[in-house]
Amino acid sequence: MTIDATMVGRSYSAAESYQVGREKIREFADAIGDANPAYRGDDAIAPPTFAFMVGSKALDQLLEDGELGLRLDRIVHGAQKFSYTRPIKAGDDIAATATITTVRKAGDVEVIMYETALTTVAGEPIATSTSTITHNRADG
Amino acid sequence: MSAVEVGTELPSLTVTFRREDLVRYAGASGDFNPIHWSDRMAASLGLPGVIAHGMLTMASAARVVTDWLEDPADLVEYGVRFTKPVVVPDDDKGVSVTFSAKVDKVADGLAEIDITAVAGEEKVLGRARAVVRVP
Repeated sequence: MTIDATMVGRSYSAAESYQVGREKIREFADAIGDANPAYRGDDAIAPPTFAFMVGSKALDQLLEDGELGLRLDRIVHGAQKFSYTRPIKAGDDIAATATITTVRKAGDVEVIMYETALTTVAGEPIATSTSTITHNRADG
Repeated sequence: MSAVEVGTELPSLTVTFRREDLVRYAGASGDFNPIHWSDRMAASLGLPGVIAHGMLTMASAARVVTDWLEDPADLVEYGVRFTKPVVVPDDDKGVSVTFSAKVDKVADGLAEIDITAVAGEEKVLGRARAVVRVP
């Protein structure tokens, strides 16, 4: 199977909620070379792009939908946007749901947009992530 | 932060990515896409070599804004297009990316910031923009 425009609207929720730990925030901040003190300690908030990692747990489910026929090693990230209601912070327990919003095809190349809602497990909004990915089915 | 107005320039930032940094980012983020560590897999997708994670470039670009803000929680919107791959050579030197940013709109307690990211002579991000709360 391959992805097509009839699959717009399909939603995929992360298998489990994501519990944000202060040491994971520190590890992530270290990996992006960001020494900002706001990202350290008991009251740490997460760097802005940490939201993508949390949302990627929903993307994992999307990639497992065999009907879409997508492979991670054929995907290139084209664009990314975040809107924040508030920063992610240590102690958050986050639910992520990704919804396919656009599918455009040109030969072997598919351009897919999906929106990932990050909320607390109680449903309070935290951030929305909008991603554009390009998937190439051609064999090199 | 002093008064923010249209034309205010934020302090620029230069970062260097080496293969080691990509491995560290892969581990911290869980993004193990082989185009970020395997020359063979990168080439099979038609890329000129191993490239930096777009999200690592995006994270670095955000620092121009969050280093300038007193509180990074004042970032309310942030988006980029990954227009050119940032190729990271397998050597000790790596690749340097320089980020600069300028306020181009101020209204209703929000400032809009345009960010430029340059590696070598090429812009690697397009439409890189942030919206922040300002006093």
